[in-house]
Amino acid sequence: MIGHVEDLRMVVCCGAGGVGKTTVSAGVGLGLARGGARVVVVTIDPAKRLATALGMEGLADEARPVPGSGGPEGGELWALQLDAKATFDRLVDREAPTPEARERILENRIYRHLSGAVAAQDYMAIERLHELVDEGRWDVIVLDTPPSQNALDFLDSPARITRFIEGRSLRLLLRPPVPGAGFGRRVIAVGSSTVFGLLERLTGAQLLRDLSDFLGAFDGMYDGFAARAKAINALLRSDEAGFVVVAAPDTDAVGQAVALGRRLAHDGYPLSGLVLNRVHLLPPGGLARPEELAPALATAGAARPDSLAGRAAATLEEEQLLGLRDLDAREALSGALDGAPITEVPALEREPVELEVLAEIAAALGAPAPARPAAAGP
Amino acid sequence: MSSGNGATPDLTGPPLSQRRLCFVLGKGGVGKSTVAAAMGLAAARAGRRSLVIEVGGQDRLSRLFRGAHVGHEEATELAPGLFGISVDVEQAIEEYLTGQLRLRPLVELLTRSRAFHTFAEAAPGLPELVTVGKVWTYAVALHEDRRPVWDALVVDCPATGHGIALLETAGNVEAIAGGGPIRDQAARIHDVVVHPAATGVAIVARPEELAVSEAIEATAALRERGMPVAAAVLNGMRAERFRDDEAPALAAVAAAADGPSSRAAEAALRRLDDQRSDQAYRRRLAEGTRLPVLELPQLVRRRFDLDAVRVLAASLTDAVSPNGRP
Repeated sequence: MIGHVEDLRMVVCCGAGGVGKTTVSAGVGLGLARGGARVVVVTIDPAKRLATALGMEGLADEARPVPGSGGPEGGELWALQLDAKATFDRLVDREAPTPEARERILENRIYRHLSGAVAAQDYMAIERLHELVDEGRWDVIVLDTPPSQNALDFLDSPARITRFIEGRSLRLLLRPPVPGAGFGRRVIAVGSSTVFGLLERLTGAQLLRDLSDFLGAFDGMYDGFAARAKAINALLRSDEAGFVVVAAPDTDAVGQAVALGRRLAHDGYPLSGLVLNRVHLLPPGGLARPEELAPALATAGAARPDSLAGRAAATLEEEQLLGLRDLDAREALSGALDGAPITEVPALEREPVELEVLAEIAAALGAPAPARPAAAGP
Repeated sequence: MSSGNGATPDLTGPPLSQRRLCFVLGKGGVGKSTVAAAMGLAAARAGRRSLVIEVGGQDRLSRLFRGAHVGHEEATELAPGLFGISVDVEQAIEEYLTGQLRLRPLVELLTRSRAFHTFAEAAPGLPELVTVGKVWTYAVALHEDRRPVWDALVVDCPATGHGIALLETAGNVEAIAGGGPIRDQAARIHDVVVHPAATGVAIVARPEELAVSEAIEATAALRERGMPVAAAVLNGMRAERFRDDEAPALAAVAAAADGPSSRAAEAALRRLDDQRSDQAYRRRLAEGTRLPVLELPQLVRRRFDLDAVRVLAASLTDAVSPNGRP
């Protein structure tokens, strides 16, 4: 298959929003399963019908088997939907030194807000990947990446969260007040107390107190978090992982795919390949001539053959224009990232919300053809 | 054509074109930036001084209006009456601090300190808060004679989940911050964001399964949070070009011989299918969101450029004006 993903243990599908990352992830997973592997695909917020096709109802944090996804080789596709909050809670569970510390975090207002925030998805997607690697049940784990303003954000998220949990200088600043001294009145150093005073003027004492509690609650957990972030990073850079960059044939998406591909290469992440999704093929032959088409339509009984011929010819011309546009996209992609193989997935007539359509995508990605007919969709 | 079938007035309030501040939201890849630019251009052409605001470090406006350098210092004029600006989070934080602390040296003391940067990273929602705060400052900006500086403001929001986070952040901070200046400021911002007459959220979709489902889900999520959802925009609609009774003749020609004529007939038949499915998505979007649906035509271009934005702005004007309601 594309980029020899069958030889990997982790496949990360990334790209700009709306290019079809989730369906490509599911297609990769299905292709691998039909080739005989035990695969789990981690989806982020899939549309309902796609989730249904993958056998998931609601937020399915635990992997479930995808009905009809197996192949003659005994492969299986399982799917789950990332629940960032549940993943974060488990991480706290694992890393908290005592049950009291765990409770203190889980009850903190800032933690509760943060763990459910969309911003937490980036990091938790990678954390979930780590969990699944630890479980050891899977031959291959396919990760769909969360939509973010910047497709590169998720790569930085372990470092970001570690810095944030560390919060060393801030923690120093927010040390619990000495009894008898007013909150914010104690002297650590002149500089930091001034900064503290300014912050307090901005936020009010309550927010600072919550923040102080929050960071305090993570005391003793920093090393665990840092070690985990480091381990995840090493996994993603190893030759067991591969990144698949997905693009759609429009200027913005191609531009973002190129930036992402370069960034991956620059930072030493293994780029398995590029997928150009929803490509319109250039129709063969030239344009139609309305003056040739009109008599044929008249013979076939059209009421307004001239008008119809003109509109039909214009429609074919539009298809050609789309085909040319998509050739431009391919050229822009291959010119900018030489060496990375590009796989095209054609624009399909049906939408990728049924297993059969995912199988077509899998086939376009080079999956072995199923030996028996694909399972029927809903 | 699109005058609010299935729309319930008490849910939707005044038409989008009558609201000053519009947040454009939708799934990635549905054309939010283009729609935002077209909305701004349509407003400018109607004689309103309009500002399109980009957030999250995108530079799509600069790419759409080639040659324009949309920065974050001051608004760039993109077309007569149409201006663009990009919100830079770090700068917005500094501006916010200056506004709150009033004294420049204090701001410098703060922004130079490591503790502050840790705070900025740790404080949940701060980037969103300063971003929406910046939008707010443009929305409430007045000339000396008390006239608003901007008649229309269009915000090109990040994709759905992040877009909703942006809209709800001021309300969250108001709830979480307990007391103090940040809470008060957040409350003022939130009042404008949820204003049922002055502000409107437009949900953009394409006539496709995933985009339409996401638009319906986002509308429900926004209503649950009390956001003034005003309209759905269906971008990339394939307008009716062929009639059902033309299909038999097209099918006969398509089957007759190979060559450009039969391929044109096949293309026409595919188009007929697409028209039908686009109409079905339009109905589903209208029913699922109970919003007026503004339709924007699919534009087939090799490059998407300023001319395309002009065509879409004209379609928006047409969709809005005939009967006074979108």
